[in-house]
Amino acid sequence: MRNNTSGSCLVLVIALLLASPLRGAQETQTIEKGSPLRYIISVELDATGKRLLGKEEILWKNETRDEVPDMWFHLYWNAFKNEKSAMLEESREEGALGRSTEEEGGWGYIDITRIALADGTDLRPTLEFGSPDLPAHPEDQTVARVRFPAAVKPGEEVRLQIEFESKIPRTVARSGYYRESYFIAQWFPKPGVYEEGRGWNCHQYHLNSEFFADFADFSVEITVPAAFVVGASGKQISAVSSSDGKTVAYKFEQARIHDFAWTADPAYIKVERDFVAAQEVTGQEYADLSAKVRVPVDELRLPDVKMILLIKPEHKAQTERHFKALRLALKYYGLWFGPYPYETVTMVDPPFRTGSGGMEYPTLFTAGTGVLRDKKVLSPEGVIIHEFGHGYWYGLVANNEFEEAWLDEGINTYSTGRVQGKAYGPGMFSASLFGWPLTWLINLPTSSDYEMNRAAAIMIVELDPVITPSWLFSSRMSYAMNVYMRASTCLDTLERYLGEAAMLRVMRTFQMRWRFRHPRTQDFINVVNEVSGQDLSWFFEQLFYTTHNFDYGVSRLQTKEKENLYPGVFDVDGRKEEVKQKDIDKAKKRARDKKKGETIYVTDVTVRRFGEALLGGEARVKLRVVFEDGSEEVSYWDGQDRWESFRFEKPAKAKFAEVDPDLIWLVDSNLSNNSLKAKAGRNGVIRLTSRLLFWVQNYLHHLSALS
Amino acid sequence: MGIGKVFGQGLATTAKKGRLVAYLWTIYLLFALLVVAPFYLLLQSQLSRSLLGERLFAGVDLLWIGDLVYKYHEMPPLVIGWFLGTSLLFLVLLAFLNGGVIGRIAAGEEKVTFRNFFGDCGRYFGRFFRVFLLSLIGYFLVLGILGRFVSMPFRLWSKGASTQWTTIISSSLRLVVFLLLFSIVKMFFDYVKVSLVADDSRKAVRTTLRNFRFLGKHFFRAWALFLVVGLIFVLSTWVYLVVAKALPKAGLGPVLLFIWQQAYFLVRLWTGVLCFATVYHFLTAHRPPS
Repeated sequence: MRNNTSGSCLVLVIALLLASPLRGAQETQTIEKGSPLRYIISVELDATGKRLLGKEEILWKNETRDEVPDMWFHLYWNAFKNEKSAMLEESREEGALGRSTEEEGGWGYIDITRIALADGTDLRPTLEFGSPDLPAHPEDQTVARVRFPAAVKPGEEVRLQIEFESKIPRTVARSGYYRESYFIAQWFPKPGVYEEGRGWNCHQYHLNSEFFADFADFSVEITVPAAFVVGASGKQISAVSSSDGKTVAYKFEQARIHDFAWTADPAYIKVERDFVAAQEVTGQEYADLSAKVRVPVDELRLPDVKMILLIKPEHKAQTERHFKALRLALKYYGLWFGPYPYETVTMVDPPFRTGSGGMEYPTLFTAGTGVLRDKKVLSPEGVIIHEFGHGYWYGLVANNEFEEAWLDEGINTYSTGRVQGKAYGPGMFSASLFGWPLTWLINLPTSSDYEMNRAAAIMIVELDPVITPSWLFSSRMSYAMNVYMRASTCLDTLERYLGEAAMLRVMRTFQMRWRFRHPRTQDFINVVNEVSGQDLSWFFEQLFYTTHNFDYGVSRLQTKEKENLYPGVFDVDGRKEEVKQKDIDKAKKRARDKKKGETIYVTDVTVRRFGEALLGGEARVKLRVVFEDGSEEVSYWDGQDRWESFRFEKPAKAKFAEVDPDLIWLVDSNLSNNSLKAKAGRNGVIRLTSRLLFWVQNYLHHLSALS
Repeated sequence: MGIGKVFGQGLATTAKKGRLVAYLWTIYLLFALLVVAPFYLLLQSQLSRSLLGERLFAGVDLLWIGDLVYKYHEMPPLVIGWFLGTSLLFLVLLAFLNGGVIGRIAAGEEKVTFRNFFGDCGRYFGRFFRVFLLSLIGYFLVLGILGRFVSMPFRLWSKGASTQWTTIISSSLRLVVFLLLFSIVKMFFDYVKVSLVADDSRKAVRTTLRNFRFLGKHFFRAWALFLVVGLIFVLSTWVYLVVAKALPKAGLGPVLLFIWQQAYFLVRLWTGVLCFATVYHFLTAHRPPS
């Protein structure tokens, strides 16, 4: 039995593979050195002065056909230097200026003390700060450039030697220190991305934006006081104590990543586990997925990965929760979107009050938990899955987060929802009182990620299009809700429209084709069109590039007995004959008595497009009308006009009419108008009101304490 | 007289005055119905003909919550205004009802009737309303000003925390201190109200001042008694939550939950009456009426 099944599967897999649009896009990527950009950095932590002292060598090979006269690079920590930086000016405008920078010693900045070519040519005199983005923040110092004495020709390599000193900020934008804990991110001078024909893509550090950089090979040596436990991007190569035993130099290396973060804290507990693919994924799971995504099982096989956890002592009891979530993330992201290509993944329980929780860096991410967490509330699980997932969407498929943040945040929010739903099911709402989980006492409702995302997505549809440069969103809320929730809801809608298997093929193709590259939105649309075999450009035009509200609904449902006689004067055989209402009533009564149960009812349904968003391509609005005898009718509408009417003649009255009964269009902002019942019902409303009544009674009784 | 004995007397009196709880429950229910009526009508008009309305019956679902939030996201000022307005009205109503409750407790063996309950409500309303205004000053002074000073060390402790435990313990202790301060103010003005009835005095300010002297002498015993009654409230809430959590969500669950909620609410009201009864007995036991 088993052999036969396997044989059938094999034939099916081969047949599907031949028809697969993925063919040729599934080569396993190996991580080898040889990136056109290389960093060799050594940095020393001055824990007393809260400073970093660094030396950096950048090797950049011009792989374009342009002659490049300069280099633009990011000095992100200057965003925390004063309130004239783009980030803090934008923060002030939003009323979101962090208090920590105002505290004494809270400011952070980076000074380049030396920058020269390998031959010793000093480039510091050419160093100037730039303000490439509009609206301008001319005093911002987060972008700088140096000019080369001669342009770097195509194929040539340039080697820069940099020395820098940084003041570590006191907890701002996920970088900084609190007491003896450090989280160090966006800390070294980092070149922008050179785009052929367009020059350096190097944006300032904005409030509503993350990052963009080129893939590189990193070799980083971090020297810290001996008591510190260190975690970093990549793989630890060595740890060498100084001769006096006061410091330890940790060396980390990783090829083909585009950023490097590290953390140091004497209190960390370091725990390591192995993700052993053979124990995590069964043969049946591989076979089922192979049939779904039309990829041979061998290409689906996951590699083993070393999982490293740096956890604070007060959260030690949650160690296994952390690892379980990470294992599930490695499994499902790996199966659905492609194998995780690096040897290690480091999960950091962020140091208290460093504000560094819930953030992704290549091969390292920060989670975030509390000392009291109910297991029914999927936290820290949700954040672990999400931030690990960014290793795929941002880490491997490295979009420009400044310009098209949805490509990682939206896709990853959608992916997180899928993985979390599969691994854990719906999670309970979280609520606490003075840090004590209320879920210990109350059963709060549970929800899936897609429901939460939709609730947020429909609120902001008319504020900004999803595809807006990050710093140009009308507000921080609009940025967050658009690029995370709305984009994710649109992708959930796309999945419901295409079907799960087709959507998995889309996502996997996009991931594998664009690994270690920088795709744009159009690249994603191209993959969707190619894999689905449909032109779905309209979907993105309506839902990503505009602020159109999507709302189809039923506006009218009328069901009544079919009339055979109508009042008035009619010409019958050359004479005038008047039909009166009483004649009609009599005729109806006769018909009812004669053919009981065969009365014909006419049901009229009007379907409306309430929003501006239009369906396109092959998409249709599905209308389902259910009748009192249990029968139903289904019709379709292209949804182009503002409304359309449908008429049904049946031997039963209509019970209700409903558009989109399968809830394909999750992005619909008003689901309550999707259906219309012939008769009003009260049960649901009474139940909800009775709940409210009880809470109002309690509230009123609390007032009695005052009177 | 020991507080155990006073507590026993309070229980006996509350048992005899069961009708007070019934009256209060009815009034609270009617007022709560008034508060929720606009929401019922709104939901009914928007959702009664939608299939989504049926999902309300199945429990909390973010799809319909999302729809409601989207539809009514401009309504919060109106909702807050409605709640504030009705809250103010209810505070005045409470001053009215307290007269009836304490008046009937002070009436000894006399039976509680609709007529004499509302007679007492009207009789004491003016002086109780003045006490209510005075109590607002008391709450402001104790919680607003003293509370701020008291919470300072907790804030400082929390500011220098090295783990979340410190902040949780600090904020929890701060909450406990606030609740204790609150209980003192509430107890103080409960004694003022009961004194006004026991002494049949119309002088709210004078009675308030006299009360300082009385509670100054018997503070700890009076407070302990007050906290014992408060403990009944805490325990009953805990029992309510444990049982409510175990009730099924489907089938008869929602109906059982509603009945259980109302039973819990009756206990809350009973605790309120017990509180006044124990205050009355403590006061009369330690200070003969003037």
